[in-house]
Amino acid sequence: MRAGWWKCIAASVPAALALGCATFPDAAETRASAEKIVSASFTAPSPQLLKRLEQDRAQRLCSKVEDAALTQEEAAEVIELARTSIQYPASGKLVGNWKIGEALAHDGAGDRIARGVLEKRKENGGLCQNCHALARGEINVGNVGPALTGFGTKRGNSPETAKYVYEKVYNSWLYFPCSNMPRLGANKHLTSDQITHLVAYLIDPQSPLNR
Amino acid sequence: MPTRPIRVAALAFACLCSAASSAQSPGEGLEIGRKMLVEDNPGELWLDRGKRLYHEKRGPKQASLEQCDFGLGPGKLAGAAARLPRYFADTDRVQDLESRLVTCMVRLQGFDQAALAKSAISAPLSDGSDIESLALYVTSRSNGMKMDPPLAHAKEREMYKMGEYLFHRRSGQTDFACVTCHGESGKRIRLQDLINMTEPAGIQGVVSSWPAYRGSHGVVRTMQWRLYDCFWQMRLPELTYLSDVSIALTTYLHRQGHGAVIEVPGFKR
Ligand code: HEC
Ligand code: HEC
Repeated sequence: MRAGWWKCIAASVPAALALGCATFPDAAETRASAEKIVSASFTAPSPQLLKRLEQDRAQRLCSKVEDAALTQEEAAEVIELARTSIQYPASGKLVGNWKIGEALAHDGAGDRIARGVLEKRKENGGLCQNCHALARGEINVGNVGPALTGFGTKRGNSPETAKYVYEKVYNSWLYFPCSNMPRLGANKHLTSDQITHLVAYLIDPQSPLNR
Repeated sequence: MPTRPIRVAALAFACLCSAASSAQSPGEGLEIGRKMLVEDNPGELWLDRGKRLYHEKRGPKQASLEQCDFGLGPGKLAGAAARLPRYFADTDRVQDLESRLVTCMVRLQGFDQAALAKSAISAPLSDGSDIESLALYVTSRSNGMKMDPPLAHAKEREMYKMGEYLFHRRSGQTDFACVTCHGESGKRIRLQDLINMTEPAGIQGVVSSWPAYRGSHGVVRTMQWRLYDCFWQMRLPELTYLSDVSIALTTYLHRQGHGAVIEVPGFKR
């Protein structure tokens, strides 16, 4: 069904009958009025935090209503924006410590706002477990993304794989424009250092993910 | 006041959950827990309290809510919630059940709007707020009826389209929109089932079941709370109670779920 039903709702709405078919504001009008109410409907402990409500260019392109598809040009733009967003660690070392990565991957906390207070921790959790199955036998895992169980066993731990995982976590839209996976590095949810530890957790043969 | 029996029920539920997680497949144990408690929904206690509050003379003006107009005329409750949100000429706004309730509590009973908004969402394991009980009672008067909010007024159509836009609008450090988590069937965030609100069965189950008794909080929760909580998960700023964004999303969801048969209190995890 999706959205089609309202295109002519005359049957159920007498006022619309008189008009023949009710008119809805178009996309541009809707966007303008909706953006206005967004800026008036939220509070935060500091004005800086209200900036989280603003969309960047890529988020805007990735916010299609209903089934509307991304055009080829738009997809290319999202990928280009992703490419230029990625920063590599100064050390050049993409593979960190899998033990730190393991804790991060299972940590879903940090940076939420409730009752006027920002949940501030030294570093945010990685959120991976919310969406991905991780080490074998873990039950409390989401399935929004594919299982990562045995990722390194299947994909190896070459420098190419390390680079792929680093970039995927830093900005997942480089490889899959508008994916449901957040751009965790580009959005500053995670630091470059944290991402190197996650890379290790995914590809190190010693990591519980690969045992 | 609903106190004792509820805590017991909440506890019983917590035990079921932890026992279940070590056993069968994820989700299955929760399902059993839900079924066992649905038959004896503690939300009924809030419903009784809401009914009493509705008829009681209260507030600075010592008036009841019996003359409140939820869209079908003063005092006409049967079926009113099934046709909300809708446009009200006297406030010149599209209002959902809770914002209309607050309008009446301010205008008829003389309560202070800011104070009402502040206490509307109660603390977990408390006795709940007056608004939570009242919203449940008024909605229950549409039990057995089909959700069918109007799109006759231009402002209702504008709200609907804004809600649709907002449902798909990605923002923040998680890049989430509502549709990220509620656009596919069979998905979970950790062990929590994500309802697919882009297909009729999913969205109808949602719009027919709020306000709902929430086992993990031991209180009745409303749609305003639910939306607030999803924005919290998205790591966005705090959604203001009764704000236009909350009304727009509710207008969109209720319209998408039209045809659903209302049955409250719902029962949630
Ligand atoms: C909100 C959901 C979500 C979160 C959080 C998330 N992912 Fe993903 N992830 C996905 C989805 C959906 C896909 C599949 C689409 C794609 O490739 O973008 C995916 C794909 C991937 C892939 C590619 C898999 C392959 O076979 O090439 C990797 C690697 C990955 N995620 C790692 C991670 C790591 C590590 C984290 C945490 C730091 C994480 N993800 C957090 C949803 C998520
Ligand atoms: C990160 C994932 C996520 C996002 C994004 C999200 N939600 Fe949710 N939503 C959930 C989860 C998880 C639940 C169920 C929680 C539970 O089990 O108690 C839920 C429940 C709900 C429900 C109640 C469903 C029911 O049980 O009847 C509604 C309504 C809802 N969400 C609306 C929204 C809207 C509107 C948005 C966008 C403003 C949104 N959600 C964004 C995760 C999300």
